Formats: sequence, C-alpha cells, structure tokens
Amino acid sequence: MSREFTAGLIFILAGIYGLIFSRQLPLGRWNEPGPGVFPMVLAFLLVLSGVLMMAQGKKGREEGEGEQEILKPLMAPGQIVLLTLGFILSLERVGYLGTAMAYMLLLFLWVCRYRLGPALGMAAAFGLGSWYIFVKILGVQLPLTVPALGL
Amino acid sequence: MDFFGNLIGGFQTALSLHNLYLCFVGCLFGTMVGVLPGIGPLAGISLLIPATYGINATGAIIMLAGIYYGAMYGGSTTSILMNIPGESASVMTCVDGYRMTQKGRGGAALFISAWGSFIGGNLSIVGLMILAPLLANFATRFGPPEIFAVLLLAFILLGSLGQGSFFKTMPMIILGMFLGTIGMDPLTGTLRFTHEIRDLYDGIGFIPVAMGVFGIGEILSSAEGSIIRIVHRVKLRELLPTRQELRASWAPVLRGSGLGFIIGLLPGSAHILSSFVSYAVEKKVAERPEEFGSGRIEGVAGPETANNAATGGAMIPFLGIGIPTGPATAVMMVALMIHGIRPGPLFISEQPQIFWGLVASMYIGNLILLILNLPLVGIFINLLRVPFRILFPLILLICLVGTYSVSSSTLDLIVLLGSGILGYIFRKLNFDLAPFVLALIISPLMEYSFRQSLMRSAGSFSIFLSNPITITLLGACGLLFIWNLISSLRPTKPAWKKALEKD
Repeated sequence: MSREFTAGLIFILAGIYGLIFSRQLPLGRWNEPGPGVFPMVLAFLLVLSGVLMMAQGKKGREEGEGEQEILKPLMAPGQIVLLTLGFILSLERVGYLGTAMAYMLLLFLWVCRYRLGPALGMAAAFGLGSWYIFVKILGVQLPLTVPALGL
Repeated sequence: MDFFGNLIGGFQTALSLHNLYLCFVGCLFGTMVGVLPGIGPLAGISLLIPATYGINATGAIIMLAGIYYGAMYGGSTTSILMNIPGESASVMTCVDGYRMTQKGRGGAALFISAWGSFIGGNLSIVGLMILAPLLANFATRFGPPEIFAVLLLAFILLGSLGQGSFFKTMPMIILGMFLGTIGMDPLTGTLRFTHEIRDLYDGIGFIPVAMGVFGIGEILSSAEGSIIRIVHRVKLRELLPTRQELRASWAPVLRGSGLGFIIGLLPGSAHILSSFVSYAVEKKVAERPEEFGSGRIEGVAGPETANNAATGGAMIPFLGIGIPTGPATAVMMVALMIHGIRPGPLFISEQPQIFWGLVASMYIGNLILLILNLPLVGIFINLLRVPFRILFPLILLICLVGTYSVSSSTLDLIVLLGSGILGYIFRKLNFDLAPFVLALIISPLMEYSFRQSLMRSAGSFSIFLSNPITITLLGACGLLFIWNLISSLRPTKPAWKKALEKD
C-alpha cells in the first residue's frame, strides 16, 4: 500500500463514522445551527480528503513514483502496544505498584532483551522509585498499591 | 500601573525563592528533555503537569515555560556533538554543528549556539512584553465573528506552513477538529459521539492525545531501530570561540532573532520552521554559500538563535488572545486551565502577576540556561550515555502515570495508547502531527464562535463581512487558499519546504 492510499483510507473511515453518527444529531436551522452541523461538515470533508488522497496515490503509482513500503519491522512497536494495553487494563485491578513492576519487567525482558537478573532489578527499582516520586513526593492519586489487601 | 512598574512587579514575583526554584527546575528539566532524543518539549511539559497541582498558577507556568525554552537550548547539544537532533528544531544545527565537532571546533559551536540562544531568547521576550498587551487590548474588540475569522486564518496558515503540501496537512486539521467535537455540545448540552461512555462527556482530553501522539508515538517509532551513539567529549577550554568565529556569528544572531520572533507568531511548528528559514537566509547572504555544510559557524548561530527567538513569539498569541499556535503552548494553556485560569484578551489585565511574573522569569531562565549549557554541558552529555533501551520503558511509564494523574481515568490511558498508535502510523506516512493536535484544542472555540455568530445574525452569513477586521481576516484566508491551490498545481516548492519534507 502506498502512503497516500493508507492515509486516504484512514480519513475515509473516520469520515464515514462521522457521517453515520452525526446524522443522529439535530441539524437545526441557519439561525440556530444544531450540534450536528459542524461534525457532519467535517466528516464530509474527511471523506472528500480521503478520496482525493487515494486518487493522488494511485496517480503517483501510475506515473511510476514507486511505492513506499510502510510495513517495516513492527515487532518491537507491537510488543510495546500489547504490554501497554496490559498495563492499562490491570492498573485499577492490581494496583499501581504491581502493575508498574510487571510492566517494566516484561518490557526489559521482552522488548529490551535484558537477562532476568538485571531486568528484575531495574523493574523493581523503577517501579518503587516511580511510586515514591509520584505518590509520596508529587502527591499524585494512583490506584491503591494492593487493592485486595486494602492497602 | 505603567509598563516598567509592571515589569518590576514581575521581577519581584519571579525572584521569590519559590519561583526561582521552579524556574531552575523547569530550565534544568527542559535542557534534559532537549538533550535526550525522543522526548520533545511537549512531552516534557506534559510530564511535569502533575507536579504543578500543589503550586500556584504563577509558579506552574514559570516552570512549564522553563521546560519549553530550555528544550530549545538543550536540543543543540546532541545535534552538535552526535549529529542527532535532540529536538526537532535543532535539525539544521546538525549540518554545520557536527562538521565543526569533527574539525575539533565542537566547543565553539556549543558556545555560539548557547550565546545566540541567549540573545535571541532575550530579544524575543522584549517583543513579547511589548506586543502581547497591545494584541490583548486590540482583541477585546473581538466578538464571535472575529474569533471565528482569526481561527479560520490560523488553520489555513497551519495548512500552508506544515510539512508536506497544503492538501496533505488540511485533512490532519479536519481530523483533529472532528475529534474536538466529541463530548457534550456547549450550546445545547447534546451528547455527540459519546456512545454512553460517561468519561467522554467532557470530550477527548488534550493531554492524552498530545502525550500519545508526541510521546508514545515517538517511542514506537524509535523502537523500530537502534541508535548507535558516538558522543564526542568537549573540554571547558575548547568552548571559547576564536575572534573570527565571534565576528562571523553576530549578524546571523541578530537576523535569527528577528526572523525567529516573527515566525514564532505563526501557527504550527514555528520553532522548526524558523531554524530552517534562518539557515536558508544565512546561506543566501553568505559570500561563499558553497561552504555551508562543511562547518560554518553561521549555520549554527542563525538557526539556534531563531528557534529560541520563536519561543517568545509563540507566547504572544497564547497569552495575548488565548489562542495557542503550537502544541507546546497548547499544553501550557491546559495547565493554566487546570489552575482555573483561561488565557484570553483579559488575561494580562486581570492576572498581571502571572503574565509579568512569567516575562521576568523568562529573562532569569535564559541566564540560568546560559550557565547550564556552557560550563555544565558535560553533565548533560553524560545523560546521552544512558542506553535508550533503559530510558524508553521509563519514559513510557511516566507518560502513563502523567496522563492518569490528570483525571484518574482509564479511558484517558486508552486514548493515550490510541493516539500513540495514530501518531506512529502518521509518522510513517510522513504527515505533520502538530496541526492535528492544535486543531483538537482550538476546534471547540471555532465551532462555538461560528454558531454564535449565526445565532446573532438570525442565520445571515453577512455577519462575517460586517466589519473591517473580519473582512481583512477572511480576505487573507481566501488569498492564502488560492495561493495554496495554485502552488499545489506547480511542481516547484520553496527550499525550506523541501528541507522540512526531507526531515
């Protein structure tokens, strides 16, 4: 897929979503524009931009500009996304300290390729250190350390 | 109170021990953020927002602004010593700065860069304290039609000045504006695109989107490859430039100050653009332009001065009329709003201690940064020896905690991750992300002023052509749009635009 084609597709999908759901909103009249007018116009412009961009991408290919491959190594970014999703889903269930340490450990082991010993050490240091700085020094409200124990 | 009285009052505020400390912390953190590739000023400011909850609004903005201009100073260090721009505005500094390092003149390049940044930064603050109150005074005459026209012009300028063509940047702006419509409609209370998710009633948070796009997105991109870092050492005595280098850098510093300040007023990635334009100008006026790229001091002095001068310029629309022109100033605006203060035309007259305290702290901050970036540069260079594979998990964790701390919402974390993925994809597709993020924060005001204007005029569009201000602004919009249409049909592009795209 060329860059323009991929980008065009994203804009069209976003626009179609906008068009579908903005139809459920009141449009009002010109002297009292409703909450649906602005999103509907924007959604239409998104679809239009997407179509134009896809057409431009196709034209570029026909003119021999060459396709630029965008699917380069996705392994590390994919791993980071998965682990971050895991962090988000378990933060309020497991509590900050446990989640942060597990997140750090898996990042160091899986993505950064550290051995278990150093990875454990760094995960513990960063997990505890960040908890101390954020909760104790900066006073940030984070989920309980171990909710199951009422801590 | 008169101008000098206000300024003296500002210095009294900024010189209190507490605010001095916050200014120092901001400058120190900003330099670190600038030195480390992968974290820009926006992520840096966002990360320290939770730290401002316990302090007053003046202290908060002093610290966050310190990060903003501090990052511009720090960005040059990695460009000069490693050929890696620590901050996107320092890309041009790599060209001649790294060449100078290879020739053994890296110390002189660092000195001129810090000195130019100091001059440019201070001159732009003079401009800020003169122009911002004038602009604010003028903007008190603005009603909804004028605000709509200003914002429309800002968006068209964003599209014209962004990376890539106008018709590649505009869809990003529209996408950002569309995301900005999510949540409760401010005029009727109707819920839009919330799908019965309570956390979406207030709309999509700006901080999660900005941190996701610029913080997480940058990390995902960097994780694709490994950066091999060769850090050159610089001794203190090597920092002194020769008399010839000093002489050659004066004019570029002055030109860079003027250019940077003016470009800073424009919406978009002004500090990046200013350094490109300054480099192009220096090359144009040089007697031997062919020597640029081989280690000319003018190629360091001009761009580095310009990107610092742009920070002062960028503060004017933000503090004068409450319209941020770049993502970093937008995050600062959000930080002020968390403290219950919304910048706008009345901000300077109603909150003089904040505005003048900030202005005075910027003078002090520039002095602190000169010290941090010259004799203490070695300490920051050591930061670069920390492997990226240790640094990035920590940055990820800070981004997550920083976002969660704003409203304790899991949805914000999902938005953060989603924006990170979006930022990563659009980075790969070579799209400019700054307009997208800016559009998100500006679009609610634009929609509000558009609808209010039509309600006032009973549905007549003639309200947008009813006074000279809107006619001028909308006329400029029309001309810019036509100019972009014509230039998109022409294959030639200005040199700075080509350079931006290459980046």
